[in-house]
Amino acid sequence: MKITKNKIIAFAVILAVLAASFWYGGGAPGLQGWNVSQTPKGAAADSAADKNPEPVLPDNAGDKGHEDNPKEPADDKAPVNEEPDDKDDEIDSENNEADNEKKEDENQDEEEEKPADGIESRPRGTEGGLSASEKIELAKEMAGGASSPGMEKGSKDYSLEQGMVIDAATGKDKYLTDPVPEGKPVPVEPQNIEISDVEYTCTISVRCDTILDNIDWLDKEKVELVPEDGVIFPAAEVTFYEGESVFNVLQREMKKARIHMEFSSVPMYNSVYIEGINNLYEFDCGELSGWMYKVNSWFPNYGCSRYLLKDGDVVEWVYTCDLGVDVGGFYAVGE
Amino acid sequence: MPWENKMNDAFSSYHPLVNFSYFAFVFAFSMIFMHPVCLGISLICAFIYSISLKGRRAAKFNFVFLLPMMLITAVINPAFNHEGVTILTYLHTGNPLTLESIAYGIAASAMLAAVVCWFSCYNEVMTSDKFVYLFGRIIPAMSLVLSMSLRFVPKFKARIKEVSQAQRCIGRDVSNGGVIERARHGITILSVMITWSLENAIETADSMKSRGYGLSGRTAFSIYRMDGRDKKALCAIFILGIFVLGGGISGGLKWRYFPTMKGRTGGILSAGIWLAYMGLCLVPVIVDRAEEHQWKVTQSKI
Repeated sequence: MKITKNKIIAFAVILAVLAASFWYGGGAPGLQGWNVSQTPKGAAADSAADKNPEPVLPDNAGDKGHEDNPKEPADDKAPVNEEPDDKDDEIDSENNEADNEKKEDENQDEEEEKPADGIESRPRGTEGGLSASEKIELAKEMAGGASSPGMEKGSKDYSLEQGMVIDAATGKDKYLTDPVPEGKPVPVEPQNIEISDVEYTCTISVRCDTILDNIDWLDKEKVELVPEDGVIFPAAEVTFYEGESVFNVLQREMKKARIHMEFSSVPMYNSVYIEGINNLYEFDCGELSGWMYKVNSWFPNYGCSRYLLKDGDVVEWVYTCDLGVDVGGFYAVGE
Repeated sequence: MPWENKMNDAFSSYHPLVNFSYFAFVFAFSMIFMHPVCLGISLICAFIYSISLKGRRAAKFNFVFLLPMMLITAVINPAFNHEGVTILTYLHTGNPLTLESIAYGIAASAMLAAVVCWFSCYNEVMTSDKFVYLFGRIIPAMSLVLSMSLRFVPKFKARIKEVSQAQRCIGRDVSNGGVIERARHGITILSVMITWSLENAIETADSMKSRGYGLSGRTAFSIYRMDGRDKKALCAIFILGIFVLGGGISGGLKWRYFPTMKGRTGGILSAGIWLAYMGLCLVPVIVDRAEEHQWKVTQSKI
């Protein structure tokens, strides 16, 4: 086979395409556009090209680092209200109202240009991007290397005492759950629990206010779904039956309120996973986003269908944009 | 060869470049545009063209195979996809059944059916000699392999018939003897087929090589000529195609399915793009009709 110029060019083109797709698909080393810093967007985009962008921590790392964010929403909240109108407008701009709302469009553009604190330019989507361990690393950097306050390490002795069966080799139970901290309820297996008709009450709420701080990361098509105040389901006292889990109550209440909620069962953890509430799904607001729940201000380290509710419990569903750091539910692994 | 093409399809007798660019545009647009109107246009035009190309055979395929396949794919989507704000009811798993997921399922299945139908037309029009004519120079090895492999299945089917008839004469077909005997005969036939095919592939490759296929400076005989009508058709296809593409890029075909269905439902720009898209998809049918009309006119003059 003779090597001609054409063949060399074709080879080079194929190689270039493969290299580009490799880079784009997230196979490349480094953080590919992820950069924890307080730089404006343009600078972050530049550093995306950097092969080894060491995440730069804000000086006041940890909890303080995140108190920086609330400064922003004060201005950010305004565009949120306008967003739904703008969306309509963008699509049928041939309507006669177009002129009227164009100004708002410009406003919105300006807002989006504004640099926000925290992580800059994070890629969206489930495919490509970061692996699970990279995500945890990143969240750890943002949290300052420590768990959120109130997130204690599990106590093995206490968990054993409470009846949790822990495998000595892995230090976890058979559904890969770590021991729970002292004073917290251990997980139950829903298939072993009998639901009686004894009525209790608990408080449940669903909020997504962290999205308001990070609205420019949110999937553009979903901006209109975020309520102005971030409250999807305001705290309400609801009835449940003895033996029900957090999941049972969430499902019933969402159904009653006609709020969309999608979940999937994960046999490995013997629990359900809440993929999205009110059409706000995991990964919609950056790669570290998704739904978390807390009961009496504690984020359980197991799934919501394994949490047996007690009378008077306060259940809160919150949307996190960075693996729990912003809602105070980040648990640093290996601490 | 052009004159061997069925008399009822004038488009097949056009230059291969015209055929190929037409199908390239149609495939690309059918796969890119998720706007319901575009999908509808693509699907209906694919049905019309396949029926005008192959007659009853295509109609049977479309309605017996493609439509049920569409239905199944459309039903599968809402079973796994629960996104969307319009909750119709709840499935027995506890997840919501939404209007948007049903609509998306129908759209996806329409796209699948349209592309399958377009491919059946493509196979009819773009014969392997046309393909080799177009790509024999640029990618000689690739186009030979492609045309050989595309030809492989029909050839294999014809030969297996031949072999099994020959075997039946000596009482060794799969229809002779008990279960084990039959299996043994079947394996023999299969082994004959594989040997034959492999040998034939090597022979084809050798024969092409000995003729100097793919060598630089070697010309190839072809019967195709770029006529005035070919240029006209090519121009029409490119103008329509680029107009639709430009309109699509500029947002004239915007449509989203989640979380609510929203997009362009009218306006001059969108209507223009739809019309152009329909025109593009129907180019072969229009060409056929025009040719037929001309034929009748000429006949009546005699």
